[in-house]
Parts: sequence; C-alpha cells; structure tokens
Amino acid sequence: MFSSLVVQAILSGVTNGVIYALIGMGIAVIYKGSGVINAAQGEFSLIGAVVAVFAMKAAGFSYPIAFIAGAVFGILLGIVVDVVLVRPMVRRKADEDAFLLLTIGIAFAISAGVLFFAGRDYFTLPSIGSDGVAIVFDATIRYHAIWVIVACAAIVAALRFFYRKTSFGLAMMAASIDADGAATTGINVAAMRTATYGMGGLLGALAGLLVAPIVPISYYMGLVLTLKGFCAAMIGGLTNPMGAIVGGIILGLVESLAIVFIASAYKDVVAFSVLLVIMILVPQGILGRRGRKGG
Amino acid sequence: MTAPALDVRGIGHAFGGLTVLTNVSFEVPAGRIVGLIGPNGSGKSTLFNILNGFLVPQSGSVMMAGNDTRAMSVEARSRVGMVRTFQTPRVFEHLSVQDNIMVGACKLTRSGALSNMLSLPRARRDLALMREVAEAVIERFGLQRLREVPAAKLTSGQRRMLELARAYAGKPQLLLLDEPSSGLNTAEVEALGKWLQTFNDEGMTLLLVSHDMQLMNIASVVNVLYFGEIIASGPMAEMQRNPRVREVYLGM
Amino acid sequence: MRRPWLIVLVVVWALLPWVLGRHHVDLLVFAAIYTIAGLGVGLLLGHCGIVTLAQSVFYAMGAYASAIITVNLKLPASLGFVVGMIASGVIALALGWPVLRLTGFFLAVATLALAMIANALFFEWDWLTGGTVGIGAIPKLGLFGFVLDTPLTFYYFAWVVAAIAMLLVHNLVAGRTGLAMRGMRDSLDAARVLAIDVHGLRVTIFVVCAVLGGVSGSLFAHYTGYVSVASFTIDKAILFLLIPVLGGAASIPGVVVGALFITFVPELLSKLGDFHGIVFGLALIVVVIAAPHGIVGTIRQWRKRALDESTATPGEANK
Repeated sequence: MFSSLVVQAILSGVTNGVIYALIGMGIAVIYKGSGVINAAQGEFSLIGAVVAVFAMKAAGFSYPIAFIAGAVFGILLGIVVDVVLVRPMVRRKADEDAFLLLTIGIAFAISAGVLFFAGRDYFTLPSIGSDGVAIVFDATIRYHAIWVIVACAAIVAALRFFYRKTSFGLAMMAASIDADGAATTGINVAAMRTATYGMGGLLGALAGLLVAPIVPISYYMGLVLTLKGFCAAMIGGLTNPMGAIVGGIILGLVESLAIVFIASAYKDVVAFSVLLVIMILVPQGILGRRGRKGG
Repeated sequence: MTAPALDVRGIGHAFGGLTVLTNVSFEVPAGRIVGLIGPNGSGKSTLFNILNGFLVPQSGSVMMAGNDTRAMSVEARSRVGMVRTFQTPRVFEHLSVQDNIMVGACKLTRSGALSNMLSLPRARRDLALMREVAEAVIERFGLQRLREVPAAKLTSGQRRMLELARAYAGKPQLLLLDEPSSGLNTAEVEALGKWLQTFNDEGMTLLLVSHDMQLMNIASVVNVLYFGEIIASGPMAEMQRNPRVREVYLGM
Repeated sequence: MRRPWLIVLVVVWALLPWVLGRHHVDLLVFAAIYTIAGLGVGLLLGHCGIVTLAQSVFYAMGAYASAIITVNLKLPASLGFVVGMIASGVIALALGWPVLRLTGFFLAVATLALAMIANALFFEWDWLTGGTVGIGAIPKLGLFGFVLDTPLTFYYFAWVVAAIAMLLVHNLVAGRTGLAMRGMRDSLDAARVLAIDVHGLRVTIFVVCAVLGGVSGSLFAHYTGYVSVASFTIDKAILFLLIPVLGGAASIPGVVVGALFITFVPELLSKLGDFHGIVFGLALIVVVIAAPHGIVGTIRQWRKRALDESTATPGEANK
C-alpha cells in the first residue's frame, strides 16, 4: 500500500517535472539568447492555456485548432515582448535591474489582464488522448500524463536538433555566444534575439497547454510556474537548456515525495527552499559546466 | 630589518587543468617601487587577483608586512593599506568625480549606518573629514574642473587619473597598479611616472604591472613573469640586457 | 533655499484632511503606510542596486507581531511595534546573510522565493497567524491618552512616522554610508578594494529595509484592526517594488509619489473593476523603458536641462 503511494508520487512527480522542465527550458533559452531572466515565463504559459480555452469555449474551435492557436499566440507574445519592450532597452544599454523590473512588469500586466478579461475562474483543457488511466505497479497514471511526457521528449529532441543541426539554430547560438563576432559574419543579432523570445514564448505556451488538463489554471499562477521553472533550470544549470529536463524531473520528484512524507501544504515551501539552497551552494547547477557572473 | 611590504612565496594556481602560475616568489621591499612585466597570458592578472584577495591561491602564501594574508578578505587587506587599481579602470560610473574620491576616503572613517541615520556628530565629522580629504586630493590631482562631472562622462585618461586619485584618497601604504599607463598618451604616461615617483617619495610602496618600458624605468627592481614563472629579476637596465628576457619578452 | 517650499508643503499637509472627504483621508493614511515600506525598497533599489520582492514578508511580520502582542497576549501596542521591528530585523539578518551573496537576477529571484515561502507559512501556521481567517479586533493606537480611532487622527500620526522615516533615510543616504552604498552599486569589486565591506553593507541595508517594512506593517494592523494572509501575498511585494520604481528609487519624494500613485489609481479606476492591476503593470513597463529614474527623477532631469540651457541668473545658479 505504502509502496504504491510512492510509485504514485514518482509518476505524478515526473509528470509535473516535465512541465517545470518546459518552463525552465524557456527561461534558459531566453537567458542564453539575451542574458535576461524572464520573470514572465509562467505568464506565457498562462496566456497559452487561456487563449486555447477561449478558442474552444468562446470561438467554438476544435481542440487541436485551439491548441495550435495557444502555441502560436505564445510565439507572437514572445516576439512582441522583444520587439516592443526589450529592444528599446537593449538599445539604451539598460542594466540588469531594469530588465528584471521590465519582465516583472510584463508578468504583473499579463496576470492582471487575465484577471480583468477572464475573471477569477479556473480554466481546464481536455486531456490529450482519452480520459482513462493506465495502471503501473498498483499506481495510476492518466493517459494524458503519458502524452505530456512523450510530448516533452519530442520537444527536447526537436530543440536539440534545431540548435545543433539547422543553420537558423546555429546562427541563434552564435549570436548569443558572441554578438559582435556573429554580426561580422552577417548574422542579424537583433533578429536572432527576437527569434529567441519567440522560442521562449512557444515553450512557455506549450507548458501551459500541457499542464491545463492536469492542473486548472488561474490568473495568479504565472509567478509560481516561473519560479518552479527557474528552479528546474537552476538545478540543471542555466546555461544548458537541456539541463532543465533533469532539473524539472528532480524538482517534480522532490515535490511529490514531500507531499507523501511531509504534507501537501509544504510542497511549494520545499520546492522554493531547494531553489534557494541550489542558488547559494551550487550556482552553476548540477549539470552546468561554466560558472555564472556574480554570486 | 623590517619585513617586506609584500612577500610572495611559492604561489601556484591552475584553472581546471590549465596551470597559470607555478612557484612564483618575489618580494616588494617597503618603500620601493617594484615592477612586474610579462607578455600577455603570462599570469599577471591572476597573480594580481591573488595578491589583493579576489582569488585564493592553490599553493603558496602572500605575506603582507610580515602577516599571512590567507584569512584576510579583500576588504581586510585594503583596511591595512593594500589598494589596487584595475586594468580597465573601475570608476563609480554614476557618481561625480568628487563622490568617487570621497568613497575612496571612506576607509579613513568608521561611522556606521546607525550613526549616519541619526546624523550623530561622529557621522557628520566623518563626512566632513572625507570631504576635506577629497578636496585636497582633487586639488593635488588638478581635477577641480571635473569635480561635479559624473565618472561615466570622463575620457579614458581621466578615468585612469580618477581611479588613481580615488585610491590615493585612502592613503594606502601599498598600491598595486595594473597596467596604469594603458590608454594614456606619451605626455600622460610621463606625468603618471612623475606622480608615482612622488607617491613613492612620500613613503608609499608600489607594485607596478606594465607593458610600458618607459614607465617601468621608475621601478628599482623588475620581475619578469613568463608562462607562470618568474624567469628573472633585477633592475630594468639589467633586464634589458638579460638574454633570456630579451628572447621571451622583448622579442629581440 | 528649500525651506519656504517645505513650509508650504507642511501647511497643505496639515489642512488637507479637513478639505478632503473621509474616504480620501483613508487613502492618504495608506499612502503614508506604504511610503514607509517603500522607502526601504527604494534604499535597496536606488542606492544598492538590489531588487527585493521580499518586503511583503517584513510588512507581514510587523503586522502579525502587533496583532499577536495586542490581541492574543493583551500587551501594549508599543511593544508590538518594538517586537515587529526586532523580528523583522533579525529575520532579515538571518535570511539576508546567505541570500545576499547572490547578485542581480539571482538575488531578485531568491527574494521572490522567500516571499512565496513566507506566504505559504503564514497560511499554514494558522495557530500563530490565524491563516485566512486572520486576527481581528486589533485595538486602536493610543497616544498620550488620545485614541487614534479616526482616519483623521491616524493620518497625522502615520505621516509623522513616515516623515521621521524619511528623515532617517535621508541622513543615511546623505552620509558616509550612502556614498559607500552608491559606490558598491556601481562596482562591487572597486568598492571592496577601497575597504568597503560590501556584504556587511548589503545585509545592513536589507535589515534597515526590513525594519521599515515592519513599522509599516504594525501601522497597517492598528489602522485596519484586522490582518490576514490575504494582505501579504506576492502582489503586495510587487506593489512595494512599484512604489520606488514609479516615483524614482533614489529619491525620497519619489517614494511618496509612488505611494500616492498606488493608493489613488485603483480608486480612480474602481468603476472598471479589476483594471488597476493592468495599469500598475503597464506603468511599471513604461517607466522602466521611458523614464528609468522614475517620475520625480525625470522631472528633475528636465528641470536641470532647462536650467542648463537658459542662461541662469545668479540667484538660480546655486539652485
């Protein structure tokens, strides 16, 4: 009986973990691409899910169309954030505090916008696949959760392929590593940063679309998701977006085991304490190779 | 016999697998100007960071006026008189020239946050003293016209001078100068040399890292660092004749 | 030179509540309370370059300390203030010591994590804090046998406390510590080389910020007579950050302007429902992009530029 509880905890931990991983990857991609920690990453997820919900409920689109609409909206949001808000600040050579305040402002505005236009309701999306469950060692896992894990694996593989094998992805990498050098080889650095934000927006929206069938989404959840994603990225090493996968799964497991062994109420307390400890003691993450500035 | 201002003993350091310094030893006798030269990548910056405490060496020790610095933070070393400058001057960009120099004079005073908040006589006296010191330094360095100018607006030569003036305001006994002449024109380098000479005449000990052979002539002893090792030391004139030094460094 | 201006301000301040309705006086009381908390955040942001999202924690600690001391323990209110300040300061010291080793983004995220942990604990530890039910019937403050039971009386008290806080912060910023802080903000390494104990200084200012938050929270508890976890969410922390950013983080009048903004804007927009959140978010974005020195800082720049351009008469030259 107890062991099935632990298996259950592990299954849900992995499911939550891959969601955190997606958010963390979005944060890491933007950090790597522009040197900014995006405090609004969780709000990108919020927007992705809410757009899909409204596409279905208000506009009557089918689920797949709504899903795509949410994802596309995420990309557009990322691009708009860069072009309209980040670009003027980069041009002014604003310092780190300013970028941080900017993304906090974006997060606050989006969250307040969702509250104003969509209210205090909780939104869910239908499961991918059927609503049934699979039985694993006396524990249950929803088919949707299996789809989530598969989808994340596919996203990771696609991202890896994109950054390593496509010329566009390589150009984005080059622009983030050495902006001046990349510019001399004819890479449009500003456009690459915009693409980075688009990518971050997409990853954020996908996380929201995948989590909404499991955890109902509401206007205030963005910052919590951001912090969980940041924790995943931190554990994995911020300069290595793929590390967020490992980090996310570790975080998800720690959380769900904390529910079993401590109390569900302390889930977030445990997760954020892990974040603090990692930041202070292992700032390069457990998979990170290079140290980061400061700390 | 007094202990040397700085006694560097067997310093070794590596980053990952890359050895940067091996068994570096030299002395900076109190009251002298000692030079350190070496081509790019010879480990000068790493050595400087070890001397002033930004880096902890993996082996060896740094003695300052006879005391082991192992347990001393950057701040603690500065408090007992060691101040350094940076290869690219790090001035306080948003502060005026006067405020920059006043920050340099902070170490002459002690009043803490609480006495400042309550504006106790002690705090006001401290501020007045810092202002007085800054005023004297401004006059001495001829910065009167730049007093109110934010450091961000200075030219690179002016930034160099400001950094030097700021360090001087704290009345250091031992001043470590990292490439102080880079970015200066010939006339400015000559002026700098005269400045440093006067500081030395007033009793300040200087350790000078520079590429500039003209400036290096003020040093009484020059150490030559090559791939993490001291390969020669002696007066500059002697170094210029040393065949090994000529080969690796002067490229002759 | 600034004196006549100050006298006019004090006269306007003293007469204002007699002209305004009770509701607006109520908002001005909140502006005073938020000014005190915002001053601390402004010290960190404007003079140390530290973004803190943890001010809601210390605000909560002041409020809970006052509530618990006066309601549960039936002890005098002044003790609540003292305990709130000490508790805020001690916790800030204990948390700040490890966390302030971080810088920039990482430090800000760490303070956000602290705020979220604290909020969860305030919620869970209902034996202490009353959780969502909160603690009610907090007694009104008395001063020299005079009970501050109306917005009008509390208005004078809260603003006097705010003025004292402003004076203390002004002294701090104008003195040796202020110089060291601003030096450290511009370059940590250069400050260390000049014997400024940057970690100690950052922790000290974090503690000062927390104590101001604690005072602010105690005032809040006594004014509203009721505290619950709903008042100490992360939104409150962002609001406290918004105050110095909007007005101008390095400027004390800027903090007052920011506090007035966040108290009066929701009022002006109340007909539109929950619209003020959007305005706050957008205001933050616009100020950060277009007016990095905040409202007051930007006005000062304009004035300075205007002064520089006009051939200044001797009277104006010494500003």
